[in-house]
Amino acid sequence: MTSENTLRYAYYPGCSLHASAGEYDLSTRELFKKLNIGLTEVPDWFCCGATPAHNVDELLSLSLCAKNLELAQQVDGDLAVACAACFSRLKTTQHVLSESDVKRQQVEKAIDARVELNANVKHLLDILARDLGLERLGQAVTKPLSGLKVACYYGCLLTRPTDVPNLDCVEAPTIMEDVLKTVGAETVAWSHRLECCGANFTLSRPGVVLQLSHAILDSAKLAGADCIMVACPLCHGNLDIRQKEIEGVYDTQYAMPVFYITQLVGLATGLEADKLGLDALIVNPMPLLKEKGLL
Amino acid sequence: MKKKKMLLSAETMDVSFVRKVEALSGTSVRRCFQCGKCSAGCPMATFMEHPPNRVVRLLQLGQWQRILAGRSIWYCASCETCSTRCPNKVHLASIMDALRKLSWDAEGPSKESYVQLANKLFLQNIRTYGRQYEMRLAAVFNVKSGQFLKDLMLGPKLITKGKLKMFHQKNKNMTEIEKIFSRIEEMRKNGEAL
Repeated sequence: MTSENTLRYAYYPGCSLHASAGEYDLSTRELFKKLNIGLTEVPDWFCCGATPAHNVDELLSLSLCAKNLELAQQVDGDLAVACAACFSRLKTTQHVLSESDVKRQQVEKAIDARVELNANVKHLLDILARDLGLERLGQAVTKPLSGLKVACYYGCLLTRPTDVPNLDCVEAPTIMEDVLKTVGAETVAWSHRLECCGANFTLSRPGVVLQLSHAILDSAKLAGADCIMVACPLCHGNLDIRQKEIEGVYDTQYAMPVFYITQLVGLATGLEADKLGLDALIVNPMPLLKEKGLL
Repeated sequence: MKKKKMLLSAETMDVSFVRKVEALSGTSVRRCFQCGKCSAGCPMATFMEHPPNRVVRLLQLGQWQRILAGRSIWYCASCETCSTRCPNKVHLASIMDALRKLSWDAEGPSKESYVQLANKLFLQNIRTYGRQYEMRLAAVFNVKSGQFLKDLMLGPKLITKGKLKMFHQKNKNMTEIEKIFSRIEEMRKNGEAL
């Protein structure tokens, strides 16, 4: 780091941010630019393997993540990760390989390189709340999200694995609420903030996703939330893209916009809607934002 | 459904398989004392014929064939809630990974083919393109699983929202990824890795 005020990171967007979650990528880049935080994308990064790789082939999963950690060394700074699943996989890899010499040797042979175990892997939330800090984040707010009631949804992987010091307390995290309160929003207390949305069953068994995500949307609505905020593209896909289908199957009505954290924080720092990709959301957030005077 | 009686004897207690699971997962199956906390918190337990604590119990009794023949391991979402809450630090999520790997390698019987198909296509995509392309993944999955109309209604909306890319570029580093896959295959062939 060149000076105390300059934060700079290697950026690992992950596959979804280059496809179905383009608005998460866009709003991340715009928000970080606004906050003077440098992001340089890791050149030629690969898929982390996500759930399918570790599901059936741990060695492949560890090797793919280790390769990405090696590629990230080309860029200065800690590694900033946007997707909760990539984040969890990279952290898990570091943990497993630091515990097992056998696995580390196997992975080193597979990627034909030394494994980088000391790299700091950080989720965007961590960077906003701790590296930049809530105080400086608060100073960047020009348009507080007053009156917006948000259900902060962590999902499963943001605070896992559990065996390593991580983003926040695994059963009762508050980091999302801390960030949102800093930018002027109201956060609701609700039951399903850590429950699974059905994750990648969206491809193989969408019925699972409909059932689990229905419970999450129900809980957020019961708690009086105007919208949900997430930090994972898979959670977003299940709660936003499948919301209409869930409404149909369970004969109910939510019209509950689902934002990425960078979209809501970006809004509070005065970024325009088009720089946050708000038009890419399936559940239209515009009526809510206009009603609250935030657009 | 008629329930089969479970008979336990020295012959049915196949402990060597359990040892393999413990080696792969790096966690102890024997430490579990069946408190059931894993199943209580499991979001997927309602979809399984053997909830997580019973999967461990069956392992302890060497009855692994029952687990592999069912769909429970394929209905685990890998959310790690079980591992988080286990009072005995049994890393159940890793045990599930190990069981799936052993079932996968043996190409054993399982009631759950869709999840396996999705996994297979996902890994093929990584090997071919280096990254995941959701559009291709979903399209090929529908064709191979014979569900041509699945999620068809979502398609146009996702395309107009820019969420599904019709074309994509290959990662420039593809030889690297192929090397990782083939080195792992070779290590397994030489018995250097499980």
